[in-house]
Amino acid sequence: MCCSNSIERDKATMGKPKAFDISAVKGMKFFDPHVHMTSRTTDDYQAMADAGVVALIEPAFWLGQPRTGLDSFRDYYSSLIGWERFRSSQFGIKHYCTIGLNSREANNEALAEQVMEILPLFIYKEGVVGIGEIGFDDQTAAEEKYYRQQLELAKEAGLPVQVHTPHRDKKKGTQRSMDIALEHGLDPYQIIIDHNNEETVKEVLDRGFFAAFTIYPFTKMGNERMVEIVKQYGSERIMVNSAADWGISDPLAVPKTAALMKLKGISDAAIELVTYRNAITAFAQSGQIDEADFTAPKNIDQTEKFEGNTILRGGQQPRTDKSSIIIS
Amino acid sequence: MAISDGFGNINELLLNIIKDNLEDAAFEWLIKAGSANEIDKLGQSFVMLPRKTGKPALRISEVQKKQLEESGISYLTSWSIDRLSRVWLLGVQSFADTEKSHPVIENLFLSAEVNEAVALYSALPFLAKPETWVKRCAEGIRSNIGSVLEAIMENNPYPAKYLNEAAWNQLVLKAFFTEKDINKINGLDGRANEQLALTLSDYARERYAAGRQINPQLWRLVAPFINDQIFEAIKIGLTNQDKEEHNAIALAISASDYEPAKVYISQIPELSQLSK
Ligand SMILES: [Zn+2]
Repeated sequence: MCCSNSIERDKATMGKPKAFDISAVKGMKFFDPHVHMTSRTTDDYQAMADAGVVALIEPAFWLGQPRTGLDSFRDYYSSLIGWERFRSSQFGIKHYCTIGLNSREANNEALAEQVMEILPLFIYKEGVVGIGEIGFDDQTAAEEKYYRQQLELAKEAGLPVQVHTPHRDKKKGTQRSMDIALEHGLDPYQIIIDHNNEETVKEVLDRGFFAAFTIYPFTKMGNERMVEIVKQYGSERIMVNSAADWGISDPLAVPKTAALMKLKGISDAAIELVTYRNAITAFAQSGQIDEADFTAPKNIDQTEKFEGNTILRGGQQPRTDKSSIIIS
Repeated sequence: MAISDGFGNINELLLNIIKDNLEDAAFEWLIKAGSANEIDKLGQSFVMLPRKTGKPALRISEVQKKQLEESGISYLTSWSIDRLSRVWLLGVQSFADTEKSHPVIENLFLSAEVNEAVALYSALPFLAKPETWVKRCAEGIRSNIGSVLEAIMENNPYPAKYLNEAAWNQLVLKAFFTEKDINKINGLDGRANEQLALTLSDYARERYAAGRQINPQLWRLVAPFINDQIFEAIKIGLTNQDKEEHNAIALAISASDYEPAKVYISQIPELSQLSK
């Protein structure tokens, strides 16, 4: 989730812009395990496919303003497994999602009760690779209550959990999220603690959880810091994501971070782990990821239908020339 | 053809195919899910089904192929095992308790992911009281998801049999718009109607104005209804360079009783033969 504090001030710390040279990671495949495509455009899908993103996970979150009724939740979950999945398929990107009641809206208890009732309808669906993103925002009692209930749901369904950690009071919030998960008897290897930083990573890894890092300008990690983290902590159980949404974010954060790692001398094997393999390892515990779905050689026969529709496979999508004044 | 009139026989045939395509454990799970006392769990069973059956393409014997042909449903040979199993499950529970299963199935439509939606629409001809699903089918035609539209439009006997004229026309028009395989629409010629012919000829004119091609199959639906208005569209079509379309128009004119068009085309040497 995004926030917007003091962007001007943070801008000053960004340093000199450097061009992203995709050729550094040409031919590599990427898996973005946290990106909110609902809030992105078709152009983003195209750019992600061009940059080598072959699969992604869209966690259920809030929509920028609170939902006031159950049907809004239902329709949102349905769109993650229906429309958005289809939209993504048009670009040859395999779309998975995690389903859950996000922490902010857990605070509307009357509605949260109803949402909890419909969650079981969705978590067993094809392509649902976990419960998420759930956890703490303000760290209220209501947030804790529904976090616990959803951990139980994950345990029952044997699904991984994607845990959102708070912006404010992050370190304590992260610790508390882990404590509670263990208290409910979940295997830390089934849990992905998200939005880590230099202050949280050590404990998360030491306790056996997966540690995800969100490369998000201004408010979360920058990818130069990410390079340093991989240098220091290695590549085991670490993954990067873009968490791109309707904030100032970057759906190419994963390939860009891979390119930067390459420039900074991190090995191809390590890059592959943190930008592709580890996410698959973690979320494939759901039994819902078949790597062949996105690694099989793309058929270049243009008459071939993709997922039964007449739109051509990724990379074969009709393209518009954006520099042209003519639209036809 | 009414599949659901004789679901008993079809049920047996489907089950026979399913058995040949499943491991014993998965088959037993499915049989249990389809038993009368499991109707309360229909929603959950339907959703979970691919986790039990997997999703490989069906393997079908020559004998079964023949039986499917005789039942008018040979199209399902191209399905995957989860799709067929889901359709069977919905069919069997819908006949076991039509009243109880209806709201459950309705709810499944409301929260369906893509493959579920495909199975749900594929199941329409196999449900008890199929006429109660007309609105749902018409709603499905509004989908923008290619595979969902295909499940409704292509190789599905339900729409031609049950949709009212407005919904049917919407289906056909949308099939042209979304470039579906027109030959796979069941009952297409039998449900040709004047309103559809007029709409399709308007559509053709719009395409011409935009400098785009049309699917020449369109003219086969227009043929019996050619009038002054459609004749204008035909004249534009004949100024285009597309040979295939000229031929389709000529065939349409030959099938119509509209004299001015017959006269008009007889003056075009390379088409005059075709239009006779
Ligand atoms: Zn998020």
